[in-house]
Amino acid sequence: MYSEIIKNLKTDVRLTEALQACMNCGICTAVCPAAEFYEYDPRSIAVSVQSENREKIIDLLESDTIWYCGQCMSCKTRCPRNNCSGLIISVLRKLSQETGAFTKSRMGRQQYLILKTIGNNILSRGYCIHPTTVVPETHPEQGPVWKWIYENMHDVYAVVGANLDCDGPGTMRKINSIDLNELNNIFIVSGGMKFFDTINHFSKLKAIEMGMVDEYGEADMEKYTQYLLQE
Amino acid sequence: MIKNKHVAIIGGGIAGMEAAAVLAKQGLKVTLIEKEAITGGKLNDWHHLFPDFFSPKTVIDNLIAKTNHSGVNVVYNTEISKIEKLNGRFELSDERDTKFYSDAVIIASGFRLFDATLKEEYGYGIFDNVITSVDFEKLMKTEGKLLTAQKTEPKRIAIIHCVGSRDAKTGNTYCSKVCCITGIKQAIEINKILPDSEIYCFYMDLRLYGLNFDSLYLHAQKQHKIQFIRGRLSEIAERFDKSLQLKTEDTLQGRPLRINVDTVILLIGMEPGASNNLFTKNNKVTIDENGFMKPINMHENRNSSTHDGIFLAGTVICPMAVNESIENARAAAFEVISYLEKNKL
Repeated sequence: MYSEIIKNLKTDVRLTEALQACMNCGICTAVCPAAEFYEYDPRSIAVSVQSENREKIIDLLESDTIWYCGQCMSCKTRCPRNNCSGLIISVLRKLSQETGAFTKSRMGRQQYLILKTIGNNILSRGYCIHPTTVVPETHPEQGPVWKWIYENMHDVYAVVGANLDCDGPGTMRKINSIDLNELNNIFIVSGGMKFFDTINHFSKLKAIEMGMVDEYGEADMEKYTQYLLQE
Repeated sequence: MIKNKHVAIIGGGIAGMEAAAVLAKQGLKVTLIEKEAITGGKLNDWHHLFPDFFSPKTVIDNLIAKTNHSGVNVVYNTEISKIEKLNGRFELSDERDTKFYSDAVIIASGFRLFDATLKEEYGYGIFDNVITSVDFEKLMKTEGKLLTAQKTEPKRIAIIHCVGSRDAKTGNTYCSKVCCITGIKQAIEINKILPDSEIYCFYMDLRLYGLNFDSLYLHAQKQHKIQFIRGRLSEIAERFDKSLQLKTEDTLQGRPLRINVDTVILLIGMEPGASNNLFTKNNKVTIDENGFMKPINMHENRNSSTHDGIFLAGTVICPMAVNESIENARAAAFEVISYLEKNKL
């Protein structure tokens, strides 16, 4: 699973860009919004990657830690050596996704939920987030106002001048099938679809490992989704 | 005889003065060309020298006495912008086309201070209570006390190392080398006048290269209770009461750190002089990758520029402390004499 991990890490062009040589000054952690809220220290992540410490890197791939970064790239604006911890994190995330390491942590497992929502939204509707998918029951954080908007969706969007789910121009318009097909093709050609398959594959393995199987012994992804939402 | 030879020295700071005095004492004709109305350069603004709190005024006064007694011709208010070799001699001129002729030249035009407003996230020039190490020296020299912009005694003071040094974001990746010990010296001075204040030094590495520098560090910790926190400052925000919130990481604890202070002192670094580029035109003088004047050999001869007959002295070569600058200038004077001896025909 991790046999070529250091090699794979070093061949990612983003790492060449993001890590010249770190002098451990801490300016990235100092500016990092995520470090204010989580047990999270981008400086130590940069140092672990720089040291090529296999054990520490594998720990990171399997940890919640690499998923705390909000990819705001504030670190990029401060580093006195022009490194970028946020970009190092991007590389670690990709490795975690490709190796299946993401299923070992709670934050990592949420990749599956993001794929199911945002990933599927993009491919089926052409939008990352679509109001019809922000169901109040699964998004209690949106509060009672959103619940009211959701229940009166078509009227509310019409009042603010949007063209929700209809043909023709305008905000939130329906994306036609030609454009959606093109979007799908872009995902196939660029490797996005393969990437989605990888997330699905490892998530299914995790569901089976956790005993979430249907009567045929297949992964029960509905049960797994419910588990992730409660986790 | 080289006694008839003429040497022109650009810059009447401590290096220029020392070189001028040494050469004049040997009987050479020396013209020291200073852009300001007084000699002594940036040291005129300084209150105390590290590591022994020696008086810079004594240094300058001694140099003035030496240049006067040895018969140096000092020209004030003249900024040389062009060095050219014509008919075997050097012609130096300023913007007003005042001309000086000499057989050898010493460039001792010094350094430029890092402009702290360029490091905008530190708020210099924006927040009233952010000052530089140079502002602090001037304050101590003129008023002898440190107050906040609201005229109260600061209870907490932060001293920030490496401002404009070792920072690719400012274009200066080199170490200015004298700032660390300056910060420790200033921290002790603050503790002496404000004994109840808390003083923090935020550093990345403490580069205490000189003899007794490290013992001053120990002294600052033991006798003056200065706190040293290893972490580079990310940014400063001003609060409603004009105090300042610092965002850094205590890298030895591995935790982000937010701390409120009343006054911040930025230890600004030394940059190549603004006129260095001008001096490379019309001759074979060159600058290094940082913009400082390039010697022919940094190990054996830092005083010879890449143009025969044009010499370098002091911080025009690289960041230096006062004692090094003076010693370096003395060495430059020796190189000038050797050159003139060799070329006396």
